[in-house]
Amino acid sequence: MKAEIFKIDWPVVFAIVIPLPCDAPVSGAAPYMTIQRRDLFLGVSHLTLAALLGAEFALPAEAQAGAETPSKGGTVRIAVDEPTLLTSAFITTMNIGMVSSKILEGLVAYDLNLKPIPALARSWDVAADGLTVTFHLRSGVSWHDGAPFSAADVKFSLLEVWKKLHPFGRAVFANVTAVDTPDADTVVVHLSAPALYLFNYINTYGAQILPRHIYEGTDILKNPANVAPIGTGPFVFKEWVRGSHIQLERNARYWQENQPYLDGVIFRFIPDPSARTAALENNEIDVALGSLIPVSNLKRFADKSKYQINTDDGRFLASIFLAQFNVRRPYLQDRRLRQALLSAIDRNALARLVWQGYAKPAMGPVPSSVSQYHSTSLETYPFDLKKAEALLDEVGFTRGADGIRLKLTLDSGSASSLEETRAAEFIKQAWSRVGIALELRTLDTAGFLNRVFTENDYDVMISSLHALPDPTLGVQRLYWTKNIIKGAPWTNGSGYSNPELDQVMQEAAAEADPAKRKALIQTWQEIAQRDLPILDLVELTWTTVSTARYHKVTSQGDGLFAGLQDAYLLPQS
Amino acid sequence: MLGRLFANKVALVGLLLLLIILAIAVFGRFWFPGDPWEMGAAPMLWPGEEAGNPLGTDFMGRDLATDLVSGAGVSLMIGFVSTGIAVVVGIGLGVISGYFGGAVDQGVTWLVELFQTIPSLVLAVILVAVFKPSITMVVIAIATVSWPPTARLMRQQVQSLRHRDFVLAGEAMGMSHTRLIFSQILPNALPPILSVATLTVAHAIQAEAALAFLGLGDPNVMSWGTIINSGREQLADAWYICGLPGFAILLTVLGFNFLGDGLNDAMNPHLRDHA
Amino acid sequence: MTRAALPRVVLRRVVRTLPVLLGIATLNFIILHLAPGDVVDVLAGESGASTPEYMAALRHEFGLDLPLYEQFLRYLTNLLQLHFGFSYRQNQPVLNLFIDRLPATLLLMLTAMALAIVIGTLLGMIAARRPHSWLDHGVSVLVLISYAVPSFWFGLMAIVVFSVHLHWLPSGGMVTIGANLSGPALLLDLTRHLVLPASTLAIFYLAVYARLVRGTLLQLHGAEFIRAARAKGAGEWRVAINHALRNVLAPLATMAGFQLASLLSGAVLVESVFSWPGLGRLAFDAILARDFNLLLGVLFISSVLVTLLNMGTDALCVLLDPRMERLA
Repeated sequence: MKAEIFKIDWPVVFAIVIPLPCDAPVSGAAPYMTIQRRDLFLGVSHLTLAALLGAEFALPAEAQAGAETPSKGGTVRIAVDEPTLLTSAFITTMNIGMVSSKILEGLVAYDLNLKPIPALARSWDVAADGLTVTFHLRSGVSWHDGAPFSAADVKFSLLEVWKKLHPFGRAVFANVTAVDTPDADTVVVHLSAPALYLFNYINTYGAQILPRHIYEGTDILKNPANVAPIGTGPFVFKEWVRGSHIQLERNARYWQENQPYLDGVIFRFIPDPSARTAALENNEIDVALGSLIPVSNLKRFADKSKYQINTDDGRFLASIFLAQFNVRRPYLQDRRLRQALLSAIDRNALARLVWQGYAKPAMGPVPSSVSQYHSTSLETYPFDLKKAEALLDEVGFTRGADGIRLKLTLDSGSASSLEETRAAEFIKQAWSRVGIALELRTLDTAGFLNRVFTENDYDVMISSLHALPDPTLGVQRLYWTKNIIKGAPWTNGSGYSNPELDQVMQEAAAEADPAKRKALIQTWQEIAQRDLPILDLVELTWTTVSTARYHKVTSQGDGLFAGLQDAYLLPQS
Repeated sequence: MLGRLFANKVALVGLLLLLIILAIAVFGRFWFPGDPWEMGAAPMLWPGEEAGNPLGTDFMGRDLATDLVSGAGVSLMIGFVSTGIAVVVGIGLGVISGYFGGAVDQGVTWLVELFQTIPSLVLAVILVAVFKPSITMVVIAIATVSWPPTARLMRQQVQSLRHRDFVLAGEAMGMSHTRLIFSQILPNALPPILSVATLTVAHAIQAEAALAFLGLGDPNVMSWGTIINSGREQLADAWYICGLPGFAILLTVLGFNFLGDGLNDAMNPHLRDHA
Repeated sequence: MTRAALPRVVLRRVVRTLPVLLGIATLNFIILHLAPGDVVDVLAGESGASTPEYMAALRHEFGLDLPLYEQFLRYLTNLLQLHFGFSYRQNQPVLNLFIDRLPATLLLMLTAMALAIVIGTLLGMIAARRPHSWLDHGVSVLVLISYAVPSFWFGLMAIVVFSVHLHWLPSGGMVTIGANLSGPALLLDLTRHLVLPASTLAIFYLAVYARLVRGTLLQLHGAEFIRAARAKGAGEWRVAINHALRNVLAPLATMAGFQLASLLSGAVLVESVFSWPGLGRLAFDAILARDFNLLLGVLFISSVLVTLLNMGTDALCVLLDPRMERLA
């Protein structure tokens, strides 16, 4: 397909030359599309490439670059799950990110191909040895309280917040040795080893910039600004009525001229799924983010003249629904058992029945949306009951008089979505056909995490995890021996330990050459798919359902965390 | 007494309803023998759309008729068992409290007030959510919040009987406490409990449905509340998924209420209204 | 009981309630500590990742690593000083969260109670006018059905009919957010949102009151004073309203007082179905998040409120009693 021919390997690009600045003011055209990059492989000129890139960007149906002139005014009403805080700088909960991203910003955002596009950083370059990264920030940006934004804020956020407190930041910025701010608009990051994965995690969700003058010297986790944030973003925090809504107002001094188009944003908390559907249909809300409209109700919004269903907003997270084995248990240690169990699940039917097609069968630990590293040449274990039964016999689990080979338990957290509950029921049915009697157990979050990660008292557990745009960030933690940490949630809970894979993953993390890195990650996927401590079942899609009045000029791969400065509402007809 | 019971039309209707539901729960498995979890049919079929699925199917293609029948058994079982436990505990505590009086009575009264001040559903939710949503835990939780009314009634009954002639006579004869309780007091105190117990079963069934609706049911078991919870998202399109099991609960609870009222009337004729 | 007995009554109730409150605190403390996992697990889980060191530090900060009896003593001492604790998950003092949500729940409960009493009384009166007639039986069946129907199911069906299909009423929430209404417009908006949830909550209780009123009225039917009033030539309805109703008020008030605790239970379900931003939902979320401080706080303060309201009903009974005494 067209897109693939022009797929640009950005590590190559960043390792070599400086991209052109792109702070051209908006004039009806999408601001993010004025990026131009050089691709030495193709050896084409800027202009041609820009045209080609423009063509590539125009492919996705949702992109409406320059298609209409945005209308100003109006307040958009968005349904979200009520967050506990309003800053993502040290916490990765999705709904916190969905709200805080309108108020606070990061260095970049991500387009549909998960390539970084400028936000507070207008451009960046990497030294040839990969040990120095320079971010050129926008000038003339101010915080909502009037104080000027500068490189000092970035330096503070990186060293004191992201590196010390953020759950992933610790790993992402582990190699950072020092940060210089030669002037108010420049941040120079010094690394002890190349860290290509860094560029995949510096948007407002992964590395949110906090105001130094508010946070420095305070207990960052308890700072009152965490619930009444001060940011640089297109919207200013107005009020938070717990249990009801959050209201944001337009930032008249936003750094992008003429933006935001909207007068304000209201986030409504609607705990009941049917109520959300009803609210959207009754025009009580305009947008439902993050799959808050249950998949079973999506067909009510199929009328394209009235509604839009966006399936790209969550690409950045690359979420996967998986089943993880506790390989410490002797009867779960033979990989043929796990291979058999994967062959017994019809992933196509699972995606179709439970997620109504708003999901894709997963073929490995790196989802297909992470196109740079996703491998299509892995062992896929297609649905094959006979093969499953043969393998199970081979391993020694033969059917008893009652037809049962083995009794297992499947744990899920009760906070999991209805889809996950249904998936558990589906798996129970699927495995019962090959003689595995599965007992389903649900526990509330604390009990579930305690059972899986502290007590290690389970056979199989199901969960959804974000693989993130870089395997080093999202996937390694599940397979790495060094990440088997008792008592800490979302670490390597299966107990899987393979020195060969550890070696491959560690090398991939430190590799500066993109081609070599890709090869290492290929090997990584092959090993993971052979050993299968984790069954990657389904790649999830985060849907955003909105009324036809709601438009956003650019589509983003991290649309869930978009600032919405380029969003507008058509006038009521 | 039985004569009065059968003369009470309402109670008869209740009894009839319950017998029908019981029959469905027990014998229904012959008409709908499938696995309630089987996801074989086309999803979201309306009742009557397909011959093989007379009551339609749910979102995952599970036959609702099979689910409802299986759910009947589960809901009834949970209702009966938890009430059984609650009633036994209630009787025990009520008797002790009413018979011995004094500090024991104070203690039990305090316990009863405690459990009646905490909102019962909240306590049940805490117990199930925190320990483990399973049938056992659901039964225990419901029993834990259902025993106070029985205990109060029993206490009242025993207190009023305690000083009656035949009991005092028994005491004078040297009967032990246990014998007194079991041979003299209980037989006279128990009949009104029957009515309360019937109503408690009705509450227990509703409580189980509420717990399942809040997502705290046993995931391995299909009860009426589980079906309602699973159909919550399809309210606009396929409301029958919520409608049918809810209606079943309504009929069952109604049956128990009619019966309980009838029993009450039969046993307390002097409380019946006069024109 | 006479009016002079009022202070004694109140005092007695307070003395009786203190051990109950202590019992509530103890019970919840025990349950939540017996359970596997704690609030730090939830926080760490939600944040996406955590290190054991960080979690240990949090536990130390929350005082969760102290021996149980010490934690309990700490908690009790705080309660006595009316410090209801801090919700670590919501980053707010418990009292603030409680006060934030209390008005919504109170509004819901009081409206539901009012609806239940008014409709229940009306139905009871209709049924009692001609006992054992078809009207009486009809009302009785209706009342029994409303007693038996699962409230959350009724709420869901009401949404389907009135919101999804008829579009008459909103499907949830308390007000139309962002409309920034005030005055009569706000009142109208609030009322529209209140209709379905309050009716759903009321449906069970109206049955209770209908039966109570019917029973009480029938008991009084033959009472002396009514015969006397009839002899005086007072019209049927005047008799009912002026004399019988006054006597119904006392048992009605007592019953209403007892129902308060169960109303909160009902509120959990109704608030869940209608996304009503009240205490019921707060308590439910607190349970799932093991937000121990918040949960205990909500339960405790609610119990105090219930006790106060019960004291109020007791006082009301004393005030209404003198007339009751005259009757006997």
